[in-house]
Amino acid sequence: MTFWLTCAGMVAVTFGSRLTGLSVRTHLPAFWLRFLHFVPISVFAALVTPSLAGSRGEGGIRVVAAALAAVAAWRTRQLGLAIAVGMVAFWLLRLLPG
Amino acid sequence: MPLWLGVAPFGLAYAVIARSAGLSLVETQALSLFVFAGSAQVSAVGLFARGANGLAIVLTTFLLNVRHVLYGVSLGRDVHMTRRERLVAAFFLTDEAYGVSIARRTDSYRFVLGAELSLFITWNIATLAGALLGGSIPDPEKLGVDFVFPVAFIALLVPLLRGRAEVAVAVFAGALAWVMAKGLPGGLPVLGAGVGGALLGALLTRGREEL
Repeated sequence: MTFWLTCAGMVAVTFGSRLTGLSVRTHLPAFWLRFLHFVPISVFAALVTPSLAGSRGEGGIRVVAAALAAVAAWRTRQLGLAIAVGMVAFWLLRLLPG
Repeated sequence: MPLWLGVAPFGLAYAVIARSAGLSLVETQALSLFVFAGSAQVSAVGLFARGANGLAIVLTTFLLNVRHVLYGVSLGRDVHMTRRERLVAAFFLTDEAYGVSIARRTDSYRFVLGAELSLFITWNIATLAGALLGGSIPDPEKLGVDFVFPVAFIALLVPLLRGRAEVAVAVFAGALAWVMAKGLPGGLPVLGAGVGGALLGALLTRGREEL
């Protein structure tokens, strides 16, 4: 049930934002335009750090694999490829003894 | 359209992540059908996996999607629509559909709707494929599939880091969320660091015109 309530809330705020934009004629102040530009950057960064280390004492190899994924994302800008690089690196590093 | 090439792997990745977060096939697909907002969906399932409460997830979705107000204002100026057309166009509006419509300088509702629907269909087919694939992974816990969350967000984040202010905001928000997560449950660190980081970015870039 929690899922469907949350889903309904997500629909409301998403559709609401889209419809508001199409319905009104206005200009946002420059400060808030810049604020919106930085929202995805800060939200994504905030989602990375708390889940990076994990709960099984594999923090070291997870950080290394994540760094490799970051390099792949920076070089290729391909989401799928960067995720694949990170996961494969993680699995390979786990196989190492020690 | 080359746009589909970008949307399909993103949809696939979203659905695999959603399934490993414990969402059912129907729930995974429902978000793609009704919310239809890629980065907000990925963030939401990441938060579901961490046991965040529903309100925090909805507020994070709002924070991520309020930019659509801007797309709407910009599109509404160029394309004239009836009230019903506005409702339809609003439901299917995404970054990509806005991008193509503006790039073409179109004033045609049909063009906008065509772009929107083609993305919607691609996104949902990719979701279904990913949800089926994700559901067939045996023993996700042992494989360490939860690592896909930080990796997916790194892959989304890195291409956005185009300048010093962007890097500073990412470092600040990442550090703030990490500290907050030690004492606060689920979604609050993301929400707090999300707002805090964006405020910092807006302050750092005073006087900057183009973003």
